[in-house]
Amino acid sequence: MKKRILSMLLAGSMVISLAACGGSGSTTTAPAAETPAAETPAAETPAAEPKAEEPKAEEPAAAEEPAAEATGELTDGKFAETRKITVEVYDRGNDGGSDPENNMYTEFIKKGMLEQHNVEVTFKKVPRWTEVDDINNLLASGQAPDICVTYSYPTILTYADMGGVIDLAPLLDQYKSELPNLWAWLGDENIYWDKDPKTGTVWAVEGRRFEQQRIVTFVRQDWLDKLGLQAPTTTQEFEDMLVAFRDNADTLLGADAKKMVPFSISKDVGWRASNIITSFMDPAISDKDYYINGFDDRMVTEPQTKEAVRLLNKWYNDGLMRKNFSLAPDDTEEDDMIKAGYVGAFQHNWDMPFRNGDDSYNANLARNVGPEAKFVAIDPFTNSDGKHAKWLYSTAGDRKSFFPITNQEPLASLLYLDFISQPDVIKYLQIGDEGVTHDVLDSGAIQIKAAEGEAIQNSGKNIDMTITCNGAYYGDANLAALSLSYGYSGIDPELVDKASKIAMTDGLTPKNVNVGSIEAEAGVGDTLSAKRDQAYDQAVEASAADFDKVWDAAIADYLSSGGQAIMDERAAKWAEYFGDATMLP
Amino acid sequence: MSAEKNKVKTPKKKQNFGVYMKRYWQLYAMLALPLIYLFVFKYLPMVYVQIAFKKYSIVQSVWKLPLAKNHGFEYFIKAFGNNDFRYALRNTLTLNLLDLFFGFPAPIIFALILNELCFQRYKKVVQTITYMPHFLSWVIIYSLALQLLTPETGFINMLIEALGGTSVPFLNEPTHWIGSYIAFGIWQNFGWGSIIYLAAISGINPELYEAAAVDGAGRFRKMWHITLPGIRPTIVVLLIMNLGNILGGGFDRPFAFQNNLVMKVADVIATYVYRVGIKGLQFSLTTAVGLFQSVVGVFFLLMANWLSRKLGERGIW
Repeated sequence: MKKRILSMLLAGSMVISLAACGGSGSTTTAPAAETPAAETPAAETPAAEPKAEEPKAEEPAAAEEPAAEATGELTDGKFAETRKITVEVYDRGNDGGSDPENNMYTEFIKKGMLEQHNVEVTFKKVPRWTEVDDINNLLASGQAPDICVTYSYPTILTYADMGGVIDLAPLLDQYKSELPNLWAWLGDENIYWDKDPKTGTVWAVEGRRFEQQRIVTFVRQDWLDKLGLQAPTTTQEFEDMLVAFRDNADTLLGADAKKMVPFSISKDVGWRASNIITSFMDPAISDKDYYINGFDDRMVTEPQTKEAVRLLNKWYNDGLMRKNFSLAPDDTEEDDMIKAGYVGAFQHNWDMPFRNGDDSYNANLARNVGPEAKFVAIDPFTNSDGKHAKWLYSTAGDRKSFFPITNQEPLASLLYLDFISQPDVIKYLQIGDEGVTHDVLDSGAIQIKAAEGEAIQNSGKNIDMTITCNGAYYGDANLAALSLSYGYSGIDPELVDKASKIAMTDGLTPKNVNVGSIEAEAGVGDTLSAKRDQAYDQAVEASAADFDKVWDAAIADYLSSGGQAIMDERAAKWAEYFGDATMLP
Repeated sequence: MSAEKNKVKTPKKKQNFGVYMKRYWQLYAMLALPLIYLFVFKYLPMVYVQIAFKKYSIVQSVWKLPLAKNHGFEYFIKAFGNNDFRYALRNTLTLNLLDLFFGFPAPIIFALILNELCFQRYKKVVQTITYMPHFLSWVIIYSLALQLLTPETGFINMLIEALGGTSVPFLNEPTHWIGSYIAFGIWQNFGWGSIIYLAAISGINPELYEAAAVDGAGRFRKMWHITLPGIRPTIVVLLIMNLGNILGGGFDRPFAFQNNLVMKVADVIATYVYRVGIKGLQFSLTTAVGLFQSVVGVFFLLMANWLSRKLGERGIW
């Protein structure tokens, strides 16, 4: 009897799974049947690709229809009927963070959008560190959020090339009057940053970066004090300081002397030695040369980079750097070493030791080593002009928002971007409620404090929510400047202020060379970043005698894997748009 | 099961089939589940192999994609013109052959040794301990490897240095890396792999051993003349399946073990496809690579099977 029941169950489950299979079968074919409808816009977009004139005439025409309808639809910026959109939000998976899809700030946005525009917003979380892969899957399955965000423009270009992205150019113009905040905040520069010079397409709107500080060198102030050293002001002094750290490991670390790491680095050498590499760059580099070598933001093909790496190689072989850094799969081990107090100096994001409240590097040092232990910013690396040159972030070219072709509500989505570009909204998203996430000091400056529960910001200053704004803006540039140093809970404002000033000293702002898309760049980004890291890592860890051989071979590999093709195409494009000029007009 | 199936296909009368099905339908109901699994996850996706010959778009139906250049072979040409792919191909072959050469006999030898143990309890314990690593993920094994083998900070290297030797770059020098990679592969799998041989050994008729003992055969004679021939069919089937996988192989192991210093020997097809295809969004290119990989795999499989039948073994079909 039992057997019978069991077999009935099994058979039943088989029937169900068969039915489910049939179901999935029909869904797999259904898109094929349905897509023609969804494809019509897709079929148009490839037409924008050929550089011919006619698609241009076609495009606005196609977009005008809904526009004419839509402007009629909005009364005082509100839809008559509630519209629904989904918006991507990064999930950073922070320990003890708030739910990225439902927290104090998402509620604020949802409420505001409903009141101002009668648009219902749903957030869709995407893991921060695999965002490109995830968005990819969502796009392929037709479930991408209506507003997608990514840092990677080549990714958007690849989608656009497949007909997967809506061209924003006609929409932005058509609805300009409905989007005053967006235009005011981003301006032509950011909105048209990625405009194709030939076809006029705008696949994505660039967010604005309000803080340009990028990479700074940090050193343990208490170690300098213990050894009676001054903060180094030249590259040579920096090296001498590292030697002093190494030779005095017993004084500085006692029983842990063997764990001493004078200068720490990760396998992303191009980032973690950026100040050194930039100090070797020819200060008189032309815009043209910078652009041609500019695909890699770690400057691996820049001619003088080799000498910078040679210096690192020397330090490595002299025992001044973290051993075998290239073997570590991620940064957790290094984080622990820094927090435990074994590391003397490193280069990283300008606010790295201050980030994460109670878990910041400096907070950990105070706990693990003593109250005097802390990292402070220094500015030792000088270039041949005697300047402390560093690359900054450009004010645009940050996060890119784009609408996938499955977006049925482009106007509502643009209104969303407009909404979160309002100064008041940015301010609230960045600093939350007074007394909960910030205090107002006597000077009027905003002091960020550690929040709890719903009010926790999963990213610093909520940058994941303010996708059109990166960096402390607080709705008012003056207020932001006044409050910058108070932006990190538990951190001495002077330290922040110093790091910020050093980060900006002799800063170089990247320029936007807009010559349309470079075909050779499609799809090779990850391959080339991997090759670049290999070149840096292998050369730094090589023996001094092998250095030239290792570096040259790795660079040759980088170039033959697509690096050279990109440089050639960039050079050709430069010649096409700027002729013989070596500087941008 | 296939034997049963053959029976069904040749029913003498229609009635027979009905009677048969009435009696055994439960078995077929059970068989259906794995078949559905195979169909949904292994056969249905084959429809998309055509991506290899087309210019892929994420939004269009695959049936409507335009054919790639060069009569659809653009991506195959591109792959073979690509240095990284050629390296990956070479490395896949080298690492898999080494794995086969060193890794394939290991569980057989181990099973033979284990079989000779007379303390049953000790044998059980050893067996359990040796197949435990099979359940560790490669990420964990790599972190173990880091703790053990890193120069200067790794346990084994510290030991070597304490004994007056110089540290060995197990993980950061290509030749050593290959050795470590193969060794960890064997370590992870030999215990698990021996289970199937032990099962085969236990199926050997004990009378054979008794007869051999009567004839005066010692341990090694028995192993050589009874145990090994007894498990030969199992060995052959597994060897054929391994050969079919000569261009395949897992993703986790090389991916976890790779580092920037050894990529020249560590990048295999699986990791290449992941990096270029999934991360670099070049789906057509990597589908082409995957298709090539499968075709070569099938070729090896057929060849090994043919060879084994030629040599008088059963083969897998």
